[in-house]
Amino acid sequence: MKIKRCSMMLSFLLLSGCVETDVIDDILMAESEGYDYIGNDKVVGTITMPNYAEGGVSGSGGGGLPSTAAMMNSASTITYDGRSLVEVLQKEGQKTITAGKLRLMLFNQAYLQHGLNKVLHFRNQDPEVGRDLFLAMVDGSCFDLLTGSYLTAIPISRYAYDLIFQNEQKNFPQTNLKSFFYNYYGYQTDPYMPIIKKEKQHLVITGVALLKHDKYAGRIAGENNVFIFKALMETFKYGFYDYEFKPGEHIALENVSSQIKYAAEAGNSPEPRITASLKIIGYIRQGNPLLTTLDYNTSIKKNLQKELESKMETMVSQFQEKRIDPLGLGDLVRSYTRNFNSSSWKDRYPNAHFRAHVTIDIAETGVSK
Amino acid sequence: MENVKIDETRQVSPVNTLFLVLGMQIGISILSFQRVAAQNSGYDNWVSVALMGLSTLGVMWIVLRLLHNEESYGQPELFSMQKRFFGRWIGTLLNIYVMSYQFSVIVIFMRGYIEIIQVWIFPRLGTLSFAAIFSIIIWYTVMGGFRAITGTFFLSFVYLVPLHLLNILAIGNAHFSNLLPMFEHSIGDLAQTFMKMGPCFIGFETILYFYPFIKRPQQAGKWCYFGLLTTTALYLTLSLVATVNFSPGELKTEVWPALSFWKSIHFPLVDRLEYIGIVYWLCVLIPNVSLGAWIVSRGIKISIPLIRQKYALVFVMLMITLSCALIRDRQQFDWISHWIANIGLFCMYVYIPFLLFWQWLLKKKGAKKD
Repeated sequence: MKIKRCSMMLSFLLLSGCVETDVIDDILMAESEGYDYIGNDKVVGTITMPNYAEGGVSGSGGGGLPSTAAMMNSASTITYDGRSLVEVLQKEGQKTITAGKLRLMLFNQAYLQHGLNKVLHFRNQDPEVGRDLFLAMVDGSCFDLLTGSYLTAIPISRYAYDLIFQNEQKNFPQTNLKSFFYNYYGYQTDPYMPIIKKEKQHLVITGVALLKHDKYAGRIAGENNVFIFKALMETFKYGFYDYEFKPGEHIALENVSSQIKYAAEAGNSPEPRITASLKIIGYIRQGNPLLTTLDYNTSIKKNLQKELESKMETMVSQFQEKRIDPLGLGDLVRSYTRNFNSSSWKDRYPNAHFRAHVTIDIAETGVSK
Repeated sequence: MENVKIDETRQVSPVNTLFLVLGMQIGISILSFQRVAAQNSGYDNWVSVALMGLSTLGVMWIVLRLLHNEESYGQPELFSMQKRFFGRWIGTLLNIYVMSYQFSVIVIFMRGYIEIIQVWIFPRLGTLSFAAIFSIIIWYTVMGGFRAITGTFFLSFVYLVPLHLLNILAIGNAHFSNLLPMFEHSIGDLAQTFMKMGPCFIGFETILYFYPFIKRPQQAGKWCYFGLLTTTALYLTLSLVATVNFSPGELKTEVWPALSFWKSIHFPLVDRLEYIGIVYWLCVLIPNVSLGAWIVSRGIKISIPLIRQKYALVFVMLMITLSCALIRDRQQFDWISHWIANIGLFCMYVYIPFLLFWQWLLKKKGAKKD
């Protein structure tokens, strides 16, 4: 009995001892990667690590090292395309750099134009990094964005992550690596990602970059357009649409709930028909002092519906012209069609008829009359 | 030897067959079957999974029937049964064959688990050292007897409930349109998937070995069926989760879709859920390999009565350790597991019904003699 117990205890001890360890104080955890394409299959790669410069170890009486203040917080190098930056930058690392906590992958526009497939394939193959990180395009250079100084003390990776996360609860469509892969590997879908930009000492999210499989194919800029894109994409709760009903006269519609439903007909014909019906329940947050509730509910509402409908149809027809499908309309048609002919879909997609129906329900108009 | 009644202090109550059946069915393939299932029948794969699950109920009926009939002739378990059916020599040969099958199943399971640890967490983990240390734990469990093994099965069931509830998180951003249009794949495609689902569902036939260890075995039947239905529900949810979470093209690239799914879940305190899931999987591994080792060592005891089970067990554990280390890469692993799965499928749908038929023949012959 004793032998059994002893061997049991021993085996647990041995199990914990048979592989390498990473002590959290002794490693650098890369939280963001930036890829700047400079031509000729060469990239400038930048990674950042959080740097907690909080002074000395409390209770150490002034002795010892300051906790992690001496840790480097970014590194960059020129390397070839499609390589893990963490591996390349190991030689610059003051301590072992690990990629496990990666939160952000940034690319400049040139990189997107060059094509993402190498880095994406690598990321999919990699067991170390999670799938809830954000991919984003940077207007300008990733190096400048990641190594710049900002009006905040939190590390840049966290700052940019929070910025994207916050906005994806509002007007911007949700994109993490998981949904990106979904669209990237999907047969009738194309991925998209947010665009961020450094403006002086701030970060701004400016739009959505559209990709054709793995290459840049254009962008959606402006909050209103992004709102429409998101409304077509998913059901969501927070968002603002700014409607100019007369020159210089605006109302802001706050989205309490929006529901998008699609239907498709004649999926195997040369000209499939797709209908989207969008239902928005909204608040009016800011409007002309002379307007009354009745005014909102009659002409303004009707015009707003029409505007949204026409903007949606234009947006989709632009996608069709570029032959990209970020909304996954092809996949939608497939799910509505028996024996869907996927090989000819690429040719039929530009001819598809897209109609949008918008109904807006203005629930409240604020607390004053 | 033949008619030894198992002492009641070493038996388990009938409810436990639920955990035993369920536990043996959940193996390493639960993490990877989704890709294989989607290969031939795409988004209709759940049909095959459901059919497979229901067909196991039929096989279970045959197995229980076989065991129940056998009670009046001798020890109701496969080793004694084969000896009685086919005579001493052929019976022993068949015993060796089923033992080596059971042995390979646990080796595959253990090696598969080590492979996952090596790929996801510790690439520098030595197969031999892990298998050796792990064998000690298995040895310890099996030495506790059949009741202790059943205990680990119960615990693994309880531990795994939260892990399986995680599938709820898939609903948030599921693409349910991936399931449409339903029933578009031909029967041939579905049948191919059905064949490939074998390795997931095999394992419940181990009741052939531990049946005498169940108290009031007549009552065990319904728990066996409950166990099978639970497994079917579990596999069905997992295949649906994979279908709605991954686009068809993406699913093709994932070796372990379940782990990739866990990879995208992120809690404030737990950044990487799949690490927890993988380590958690240890409590599936322990009962499975324990029961396998118990079966093989008991088989040795029954075939060669001179050897006591506890010495046979040491030999079995040594062999498992060595065999694990012998499988070097994924090609070999895939090749072996492919064959094991085919043999298992053959056992389930051909050999077991054949045994029932043979038993009936023997009975008729016996009746004629009288």
